[in-house]
Amino acid sequence: MQNVNPPILEVDKLTKYFGGLAAVNDVSFEVHQGQIFGVIGPNGAGKTTLFSLITGAVKPSSGKVRNRGDDITGVRPFKLVKAGLARTHQIVRPFREMTVLENVQVAAHFGRNSVTDTAAAKERAREVLRAVGIDHLANNPALTLPVGSQKRLEIARALATHPDLLLCDEICGGLTHSETAAMLQLLRRIRDQGTTIMYVEHDVKAITAVCDTIMVLNYGRKLAEGTPDHIQNDPAVIEAYLGTRAAACE
Amino acid sequence: MSAFSAILPARSIAKWIAKWRNTALLWALLAALAVAPLLIPSPNTIRLLFTTFLWVTTSIAWNLLGGFAGQVSFGFAVFYGVGAYTTALLMNAGLNPFIAFLASAFTAVLVSLFVGVPAFRLRGPYFAIATIGISEAVRVVMTNLTFTGGASGYRIVEHRPFSQREHYYTALVLASLAFVISLLIANAKFGMGLKAIRQDEDAAADLGVNPYTYKLAAHALAAALTGMAGGVFARYAAFIHPGGVFGFHTSVHILLMPVIGGIATVWGPVLGGFVFGIVEEEIVASFPEIHLLLYGILLIIIVLFEPGGILGGANKLLRRFRAKR
Repeated sequence: MQNVNPPILEVDKLTKYFGGLAAVNDVSFEVHQGQIFGVIGPNGAGKTTLFSLITGAVKPSSGKVRNRGDDITGVRPFKLVKAGLARTHQIVRPFREMTVLENVQVAAHFGRNSVTDTAAAKERAREVLRAVGIDHLANNPALTLPVGSQKRLEIARALATHPDLLLCDEICGGLTHSETAAMLQLLRRIRDQGTTIMYVEHDVKAITAVCDTIMVLNYGRKLAEGTPDHIQNDPAVIEAYLGTRAAACE
Repeated sequence: MSAFSAILPARSIAKWIAKWRNTALLWALLAALAVAPLLIPSPNTIRLLFTTFLWVTTSIAWNLLGGFAGQVSFGFAVFYGVGAYTTALLMNAGLNPFIAFLASAFTAVLVSLFVGVPAFRLRGPYFAIATIGISEAVRVVMTNLTFTGGASGYRIVEHRPFSQREHYYTALVLASLAFVISLLIANAKFGMGLKAIRQDEDAAADLGVNPYTYKLAAHALAAALTGMAGGVFARYAAFIHPGGVFGFHTSVHILLMPVIGGIATVWGPVLGGFVFGIVEEEIVASFPEIHLLLYGILLIIIVLFEPGGILGGANKLLRRFRAKR
């Protein structure tokens, strides 16, 4: 079922060395249109490095990243946005002196199909805020939002650039149980409206609840890939997460 | 409150005033400045206002890059000086001064690209340091350049009767132009991009802003205005020298005004320019040896206690006052 749609993102043998250490080592995978593709792994597994390699913040030592067949390896972030890739940040980075609406307005001005007219950009920003569920906070300074809403603002800004592929970095980090559930619901809704999602997360529960396909990283290498059920029962994954003894008990 | 609400017209007038306050303030200010030369007989006051308009222009220009985009430059004397020398050379070659001013804008833009293309590879304090280096290098070159008279300066010969009013209105139009540009940019796409860059350059890039080209564009626009101000000054002064127009103190003055008034706002640089323009000569006259030291102290005080400048401080007071009521 998952390979019916064409791949929107192809990662081919991606490797990144920091000094002698391979933070990401020979990782290949494909994200298909309409998927929520999860990437998971213990601390230091290379999730964030992989993320930075795809979004162009860090240049890979070797390997290729393709978007619908176009080579986007090492392409700068502002160009990726125009190609339809947008990201959120693990640690939220709102424009602190702007209101929530203005934050999203910037994205509407500069994203794909960008709008020059101020009123039109504001209108689009309002629509996105409504879709993400923080339109009641539109005129608040971005700085004053609680964590949950700041994470939603991150998503709203990325969405306002009209991406085909939304790259989410640990958007449930620091959220409560019910906030996490609401956030995952939002991810599903975004996907249903036609945006493919690649979701990097530390939290196993969150990622198994929402993803169609999950890739597990460990020590920079790809450990496993498959459906949530498949991943949860994979002995190698259990070992990486819970240790060798727990794996032996299974 | 209820007593007031009974008088409906009074309230609607208050609302109307609130809505049009800024526009009204602007037109009133412009009208007052436009008729000032007709009412004020003292040529010295007119000269002071003329200088103030030029400072306001450069202050607004600096704020486009340093305020909105957050790229602190200590190198605006380069544009001021290049503008001054361009006008001086072209006027002596027989060109109409107003065309010379446009040429000044053009050369200043060219120079801004020469400076910006390498310097914007650097961020934050490193960019600021680079601008100091470039500015000083240019000053030294100009001091040793023979065809502009080197350190002994360059004289402009204009074969027309001197009209102080013409100079005054030229400067007023230039300052108004700068203000209109700043006003139009502030909340438009261009300004939003610049503000995003100041607040988080990487996050801005992740939303599609190209920080490098946007900084270059703001730099070029600021240079054009500063260059023209330099040209207008050169024509009035009829004598320029590298130690003046290219001097480090010129860069510091241009930076200080928006900081005094309120950085990254539309009115702050105007306010700062007026305050500085009117006070500066008094300070130089009263404390000739230590006036630069005083500016340094002032800068430190503002950055430490009220980074928002006069405008930021006033807004804070206003909010506190309203909260108490």
